[in-house]
Amino acid sequence: MSGDELNPAAVPQQVEDLHGDGRWMSQHVRFVQECKDGEPEVLFVGDSMVQLMQQYEIWGEMFSPLHALNFGLAGDTTCNVLWRLQNGELENIRPKVVVLWVGTNNHQHTAEQVAEGIVAIAQLLTNRLPKAKIVVLGLLPRGERPNPLREKNAAVNRLLSSRLPRLGQVLFLDVSKEFVHSDGTISSQDMFDYLHLTLAGYRTLAKPLSDLLLQILEETPEERRASLV
Amino acid sequence: MSAEASNPAATPTPCEDTQGDGRWMSQHVRFVSETKDREPDVIFVGDSLVQLMHQFGIWRQLFSPLHCLNFGIGGDATQHVLWRISNGELDNISPKVVVLWVGTNNHGHTAAQIAGGIMAIVQVIHNKLPHAHTLVLGLLPRGRMPNPLRERNAEVNKLVQDALSSLSHASFFNVDPGFVLSDGSISHQEMYDYLHLTAHGYQAVCEPLHAQIKSLLEKPAEN
Repeated sequence: MSGDELNPAAVPQQVEDLHGDGRWMSQHVRFVQECKDGEPEVLFVGDSMVQLMQQYEIWGEMFSPLHALNFGLAGDTTCNVLWRLQNGELENIRPKVVVLWVGTNNHQHTAEQVAEGIVAIAQLLTNRLPKAKIVVLGLLPRGERPNPLREKNAAVNRLLSSRLPRLGQVLFLDVSKEFVHSDGTISSQDMFDYLHLTLAGYRTLAKPLSDLLLQILEETPEERRASLV
Repeated sequence: MSAEASNPAATPTPCEDTQGDGRWMSQHVRFVSETKDREPDVIFVGDSLVQLMHQFGIWRQLFSPLHCLNFGIGGDATQHVLWRISNGELDNISPKVVVLWVGTNNHGHTAAQIAGGIMAIVQVIHNKLPHAHTLVLGLLPRGRMPNPLRERNAEVNKLVQDALSSLSHASFFNVDPGFVLSDGSISHQEMYDYLHLTAHGYQAVCEPLHAQIKSLLEKPAEN
C-alpha cells in the first residue's frame, strides 16, 4: 500500500535482544511451531493484552473451546506484530477469525501512524486469509486519570472505526467506555497497573468478544467450508 | 558491598514517567494509602513476579488468609523498590514478615551491584520495621535456554545468600522448584514468556513459600 514506507508504524521489525536471554525470538519460534501442530479456528495476535488473557481461567472457559491460538507477545508494537505475521506465524493455518489487538505500545508514533499500522496488519491478514473475518479490538484507555495516552488511544480508535469498515472482512470492537468511571478514573480492580487487565477486567471484554466470535463462527459452518476454499 | 553512592542499584530512584500516563506513581500512591487503611501481617514487595502473583487464584487461596498486602510493580529494579519503601510504603504498618523479590530487571548492573541493591533494601526494611523478618526470594532462571542472565541471577543469589547468613532479621529462600529441565530448557507451561510464571508455575513457587511464611508467623516476634 502506498505510504507504508513513510509510516514507521507499518514497517515490519523484530525486537532486539537487549537483555540477553532471547525471549522474544523464543516466543516467536514457539508460535511458528504451533502453526505446524495446530488447526486453530480462531487466532489471537497482539501484545501483552492478548498474551495475558491466556494466563487467566477466562481463556480456558471462553476461548480454548473455540480452538483458539494465542500469539500475544508483551511489549509488541504494530511493527513487531507485522514482522511476526510475515515470518511464519500465519503459515499452514486457516483460522476463520483473527483477533488483532495491538497499538498501545507504539510510543514513538502518532495516533495517525498507529491507526495506519493497524490497518496495514488488517490488510495483510485479509490478503493472506481471504476467507477469514478480522476482529480488531480498540485500544483501551490507560493510566489512573486522564492523560495524553488516553487521548492518543482514543484518537487511534476514532480513526480505526472509520477506516476499518472499508476493508470488508474487518470488524471493529471497542469496549473502552466500560473502563472509565464518571470521575475519569480507571480502577485497579479492572487494571491492576492501570494498563493490564485483571480477571474482572478481562470478563468485561470477553463477553462481547466471545459473543461476536460465536456469531462469526456460526456463519461459516463446517459443511460450507469446502465450497469457500 | 559497594557504597550507595557508587552503586546505582542501591541508590533510591523513582521510575521516570517516560510513557506519559504516570502509572508507576499511581501505583506507589495507592500502596501508600493502603498502609493507612490496613494492618497486614505480611507485605510482599518487588517487581512483576510479585505483582502478577496477586492476579492469580493462588493469592486468594494461600495468601489472603494470612493478611497480606502486595506492593509489586512490573519492571521495578532494586533502586525503584528502594525508593518506594523509603517513601511511605512501609509507614503506618507493622507486618511480621516482609517478602522481597526483586533484581531480575536490573539490566546493565553487575551481579555484585544487584546484590548490593537487595542488601540495601534489607537494611531499610530493618530500620523501618525492626521487629519484622525479611524473606528474600532467590531470583529465578529466565530465558528458554541457558544464557548470561541465568548466570547473573545465580550469582546474585549466591552473593545475597552469603550476605544474609550473618543476619538474624532476614533470610534467603530459594523458590525455584527446578524450572530448568535436564536439557537446560525452561518450559512455557511454567513461564509463558520464559520470565513470567503461569498459574502452574506460581503453584510450584507459592506452596513452599506459603509454608515458610506460616512458620515465620507462628514464631514469637523478633527483638
